[in-house]
Amino acid sequence: MIQHASAMWKFRHFLMALVKLDLRQRYRKSVLGIGWSLMNPIAMTIVFTVVFSKVLGAGADPISYAASVLTGMAVWSFLRDSTLTGCRCFSTNEAYIRQSPIPYTVYTLRTALGQAIHSLLALSVVVVMVAIYQSDSAVLLRVALMVPGLLLLFIAAWAAATIAAFTTVFFHDTQHLLEVMAQIVFFLTPIMYPRGLLDDKQMGWIVDANPVYWLMELTRTPLLTGHMPSMQMYLAGSGVVFVLVGLAAGIVAWLQKRVIFVL
Amino acid sequence: MASIEVCGASVTFTATQNKQTTLKEYLLKGLFRRSVNPQIQIHALTDINLTARDGDRIGIIGHNGAGKTTLLKLLAGIYPPTAGKAAVEGRVCSLFDISVGFENEATGWENIIYRSFLQGESPATLKGKMQEIAEFSELGEFLTLPVKNYSAGMRMRLAFSIATAAEPEVLLVDEVLAVGDMAFQIKAKARMKAMMSISRLMVVVSHDLNTIKDTCNRVLWMRRGQVVQEGAPQDVVRAYNRDAIERAAATEAQLAAAAAAKPANPPAPVLDAAKVA
Repeated sequence: MIQHASAMWKFRHFLMALVKLDLRQRYRKSVLGIGWSLMNPIAMTIVFTVVFSKVLGAGADPISYAASVLTGMAVWSFLRDSTLTGCRCFSTNEAYIRQSPIPYTVYTLRTALGQAIHSLLALSVVVVMVAIYQSDSAVLLRVALMVPGLLLLFIAAWAAATIAAFTTVFFHDTQHLLEVMAQIVFFLTPIMYPRGLLDDKQMGWIVDANPVYWLMELTRTPLLTGHMPSMQMYLAGSGVVFVLVGLAAGIVAWLQKRVIFVL
Repeated sequence: MASIEVCGASVTFTATQNKQTTLKEYLLKGLFRRSVNPQIQIHALTDINLTARDGDRIGIIGHNGAGKTTLLKLLAGIYPPTAGKAAVEGRVCSLFDISVGFENEATGWENIIYRSFLQGESPATLKGKMQEIAEFSELGEFLTLPVKNYSAGMRMRLAFSIATAAEPEVLLVDEVLAVGDMAFQIKAKARMKAMMSISRLMVVVSHDLNTIKDTCNRVLWMRRGQVVQEGAPQDVVRAYNRDAIERAAATEAQLAAAAAAKPANPPAPVLDAAKVA
């Protein structure tokens, strides 16, 4: 494990250079450039505030509804995209893999870091929105409270990308399977609707059993309410991360010497 | 100190005939009938033993598919041994498959950076080398263009210039000398020679037996993943040559026998008009 980590540290420059490249390439030849990362959440905010708040008609204010949805979406798409792009990770980096004996987790980290930067941009739109709407000078405190949750989220995404990458090499249908599963989990997670909707129907257990929910709340609660998430929430979130990392580490140890022969 | 210690190492992997495995195949795994997509065991290397110390220059010869490149990749740490042990100490520089692994959308300059980092350079050590790499490649202004616009020759030039900018302790070479045009080839050869003299330990795979005889102090002759003979370059190369001639003669004899067995003038195939219609 320590050996693995030190080998990864040795190639940090390589990793960071490629992440920078990925970032630049994402918006190559586009007029708006990085603005597209911001455009998406802004456009969604408008739609939500104008249309959806009326449909739901909860009487709640549309801005906080939009903020809640956008935070949820940012976290959700980060997890989903990291995992799904993770599936193709080893085939995209095949040329490097065949040339240099560097740890495979460097490549999945490339995937996760690229997605993280993109999602942070989307999240920053929400932060600005909250700051303006609440006209609250303590918005920086909210951001600070988000940090532990974001860190846990990032580790979870990296682990998920690693698991997906290794699984895909040995079972090519993984990506399609995950796409279907992602669609299901998306609807089961309180992203577009408040959690109370399920609690009212005695279906709260669906949410409690959903690991994505716990990871999401660690980011959403501090940003929207300004309170620190409860200890129980941190425990649940850490538990999810612990399981994912354990799985990822197990898979790496089990398969890292066999990937090159199957790729 | 640089050293290579390979002890009873084997590389075996399984391959399937078709890349795709169907769901039926997955579930039944040849339960009732013989599998239509059988797994084939490939013994790329079998029980290899090799020890090398500072100053050793090892040449590997053999026919295509003998496992020469696999052995190099084993030494480079890309293939893990499926049995036995393989340990290499010292900073390794491997020169094989160098023309792949460019980021196509990035410029030549950027690719110099990625490749060098991949070879273990740091921003500090790279600073001094960038210019030197660029000069050696002679690509000039082309370096500001994306690599996808390069010709195959230009890619090779760039790859070679980057790969040989390292100061390796252990140098692994797989016949990369066919780089670019004549003028560049002469330069490349000179550079290879310089690298070979700097490196403490070298393993080179080549079909050019003269190069092997000139540069190596020990030669491994491989066939079907096994070492047939190991020893002084003169002896091994001579044995290898004799074997190659004998094989060629045997093949010729076989062909002659086959030709004799056939009727001298095989009847020309008659087109069946009805069938064609």
